[in-house]
Amino acid sequence: MTEHVTAWLGAYHDGELQGRRLRQVETHLAHCATCRADLERLRALAALLLESPAAENLTPPERFVAQVGLRLPRRPARPAWQRGLEIGWQLVPLGLLGAWAFVQAVFVVAGAVLVALRMSLEGDVVAGLLPASQQGLSLSETFSLSGASLGDVGRIMLRLLGNRGPLGWGVTLNLVLLVLIGLLYWSWMASWWALRQHRQL
Amino acid sequence: MSSRSAPSAQTELELITQAQQGDRRAFGELVRRHREGVVNVAYRMCGDANLAEDAAQEAFIRAWQHLPSYRPRSPFRHWVHRIATNVALDMLRRERETVDIDALSLPTLDKGPEAMVEGKERGERVRQAVLALPPASRAVLVLREYEGLSYREIADTLGIPIGTVMSRLNYARNRLRQSLASYLEVL
Repeated sequence: MTEHVTAWLGAYHDGELQGRRLRQVETHLAHCATCRADLERLRALAALLLESPAAENLTPPERFVAQVGLRLPRRPARPAWQRGLEIGWQLVPLGLLGAWAFVQAVFVVAGAVLVALRMSLEGDVVAGLLPASQQGLSLSETFSLSGASLGDVGRIMLRLLGNRGPLGWGVTLNLVLLVLIGLLYWSWMASWWALRQHRQL
Repeated sequence: MSSRSAPSAQTELELITQAQQGDRRAFGELVRRHREGVVNVAYRMCGDANLAEDAAQEAFIRAWQHLPSYRPRSPFRHWVHRIATNVALDMLRRERETVDIDALSLPTLDKGPEAMVEGKERGERVRQAVLALPPASRAVLVLREYEGLSYREIADTLGIPIGTVMSRLNYARNRLRQSLASYLEVL
């Protein structure tokens, strides 16, 4: 004889068991008179509970409806700014996704510029990447025309983007922005969840 | 001439949509349709018809206020029963005297055993036994036995895990089997 299934009889009686557990209870019931008697008592209890009278002498339906109607508070139409705010609130994750994509794009472009500058500092190789109209003009000459030497610009860019901090400012800044965006996203999720719980009473 | 048909002829979804836009007539029809179920949920919870009607009215007012955020993923009946259960639980917490079982003595006992119909007495005994349960277990039992909600629906209604639904239901049934043992043996 397998172990009694007393703990599962209620769920079995309510039709809430499925799969292996259901088969286990059914198999057990086929052989166990004790559990069958328990199940019968559960069924008898359910029948007995239905004998409890429903509420009597209630207010007539139409009067009840009228009473509720009189107590209903005014529900003003929401102003346009509030609706706009709500739509904006719904779009926050999209905005954060856009911000994330923007940050990634900025750092990819900045990285490419940095690599190009490093290469040009080493030998003006970038000049070959210029458009056909400027084929005859090296990158150094292009910058010289505007009064600044390519070496000066490159050094400034390198200082700004690549050569400071343990990981380099670019990587650090990227990480900080990603963490910030992540935090904002999870804060939004938490607020959304709290609001949802509140609305469900 | 209005293109809308009479509220009584409209589907529940149409009524909900109109009520969400502020149509009080549509909401009135929803109240009319669900009044009995909501009052009975409250009545099973608090054991007093007047209090149950107050709780039901309060539940419908809360439903009206929160209707714009209602999404018809779950049936309206379950949603409004959930509100009614919570209102009744709030009332029980605020007014503990309403669950004083001594105060809810059998009215028929005063009339003497001759005048008492056996079935009615049994019904009253059952009502008292249910009211003697702790409110948390009683809420689960009422939603299961009288409203026929599934465990999942009860869990959603009361905001508790399914395991808690099962344990509270088992507890309530065991208590009732003890307190109503004499009736269960006769059956």
